[in-house]
Amino acid sequence: MASGFKKFGRRITAFVVFLLSVVTLLFFLLQLTGDPAEVMVGDNATPEQLEQVRQQYGFDKPLLTQYALYLSRLAVLDFGISFADDQPAFGLVMERLGPTLVLTFLSIIVTLFISIPLGAWLGQRPDANSRKFTGAFVFIAQGVPGFVVGLILIQIFSVNLRWLPSFGHEHPLNWILPTLTLASFLAPKLTRVVAANVTEALREDYIRTARSFGTSSASLLWRHALPNALLGALALVGAQFAFLISGAVITEVIFAWPGLGWLLVKATETLDFPVIQAAVFVIAILVFAVNLCTDFLFGVIDPRLRGNKK
Amino acid sequence: MSGLLPRLRIASKHRRPDIQLIIGGLACITILILTIGKDFFAPGDPLSGDIMDRFKPMFEGKYVLGTDQLGRDLWTRVFAGLPWSLGIACVATLIAMTVGTSAGLIAAWKPGPVRTVINRMVDTIIAFPGLVIAICIIAAIGRGFWPLAITLGVLTWPFYARVVYAEALGLMERNYVLAAQLYGVPSRWILIRHVLPGLRPTLLVMLAFHFADMLIAESALSFLGLGAPLQAPTWGNMLAESRQYLFNAPWMMLVPAAAIVVVVVTLNLIGDGIAATTRSKARAVE
Repeated sequence: MASGFKKFGRRITAFVVFLLSVVTLLFFLLQLTGDPAEVMVGDNATPEQLEQVRQQYGFDKPLLTQYALYLSRLAVLDFGISFADDQPAFGLVMERLGPTLVLTFLSIIVTLFISIPLGAWLGQRPDANSRKFTGAFVFIAQGVPGFVVGLILIQIFSVNLRWLPSFGHEHPLNWILPTLTLASFLAPKLTRVVAANVTEALREDYIRTARSFGTSSASLLWRHALPNALLGALALVGAQFAFLISGAVITEVIFAWPGLGWLLVKATETLDFPVIQAAVFVIAILVFAVNLCTDFLFGVIDPRLRGNKK
Repeated sequence: MSGLLPRLRIASKHRRPDIQLIIGGLACITILILTIGKDFFAPGDPLSGDIMDRFKPMFEGKYVLGTDQLGRDLWTRVFAGLPWSLGIACVATLIAMTVGTSAGLIAAWKPGPVRTVINRMVDTIIAFPGLVIAICIIAAIGRGFWPLAITLGVLTWPFYARVVYAEALGLMERNYVLAAQLYGVPSRWILIRHVLPGLRPTLLVMLAFHFADMLIAESALSFLGLGAPLQAPTWGNMLAESRQYLFNAPWMMLVPAAAIVVVVVTLNLIGDGIAATTRSKARAVE
């Protein structure tokens, strides 16, 4: 157990170092854009206004002092006031966290519901003709970027069939297309991983033993091979969470989903740095927390990972 | 020294390319020819069009792929996007592969703090959504070919570092590396002459997949308005423009979408194909 704590501590340290480098990067990126005060007040500001903003935000101080001030404010989660909205940036970001989490969670569920049965079916007899055809389809689907899937779904279900709305998020009907789009980021890959794992698991000795005892092939697949194949699949979902967040950014922009990603992209258009900094900060903590949870979950599911081999 | 590697040599002669690799290779050559002969295959101007000919569907008149909202020929525009997309993916991949392979080799060779620092960096960068950081960097330093290519390359090197590290650790246990060490060959030379060649199949597979990822990342960023200059005829920009016209001109979306999918699937075929051939090679060796 002691080494478990040590491991945990090491991860926290690594994360704090990482967080520090990200916020430092963001701080210096702001300097790269030119005079932040000019960005804030806009083009038609008087020199007096400009000077006032400089003093108010401390842009007239030396860079290192500014950096120290910036870090001390971050320590109490004060990212400053959004240039565009005149509200605390951190609050704006936290409002958007919920929709992003809902979208990501729903699409993980959909991904699992598509990939596990399909992958198991494909992996059961990968050389059968019908499955070869489906396999080729999955392979091509893997090459279709998520934002293209989103546009095609809009084209089919919103423009041609007029079944589903293409933007907004109030009604559950609005949730279908964004969820499917985000699911398409991971589903083809996961399907292929499940299929490969199932094929491999079906070659194992314990399957041959079970078969020799007269177990039906359906039971072989669902009871014996699939649970083993699923471990790898779940590990993939955990490891790809960061990728899903990237996908969520694009999906949210396409469907005007009021989440973190859409906020972030909008903030970059106006160089609203308080919001950008707060959004990236929250995303970093979110991803770290999810990775920590997945690791913990794996310790519970798979006893082999509980040992301290290293 | 080379006498210690006869088995690999023999195996490489008996390599049987699989069907994926053949199809992918042919498609790749076609794409390269089209890119080089761009001016021959699509001679028009991608930036100007006849406003009277706007929203022409595919296969109507002289427009094979139709026209957009300004009457610009989509055939020419898709061709104009080729060098841009391939160029960015190429530079980004080269940067990521060079930095990542070097970092991975160094980490494998030097246990202790150097290894720890490199591995920690790799773990944390991989665990973070790269697109998010890319968006911030591009927003600050501006759009364009080089900002985009360098940002993408710098953000993705850890993927190479992680794989190269794991693989190089295994290779360094091999007898021929031990023999070279006993022989007194300097470590830098062992890494370059003996470990690096062993990584070739893995690196080739990664190269194909990573190239595809970079192409997607580039078009995604352009699609978000954070990649190419706004008027440039790139596939991401074309897709972003097409969103307003999905109702009257769906081909405006389908043409660049198809272009991206074709290139990405080609690269995936090559990657999978190399993986399959090298695996069967490994089987032939053992």
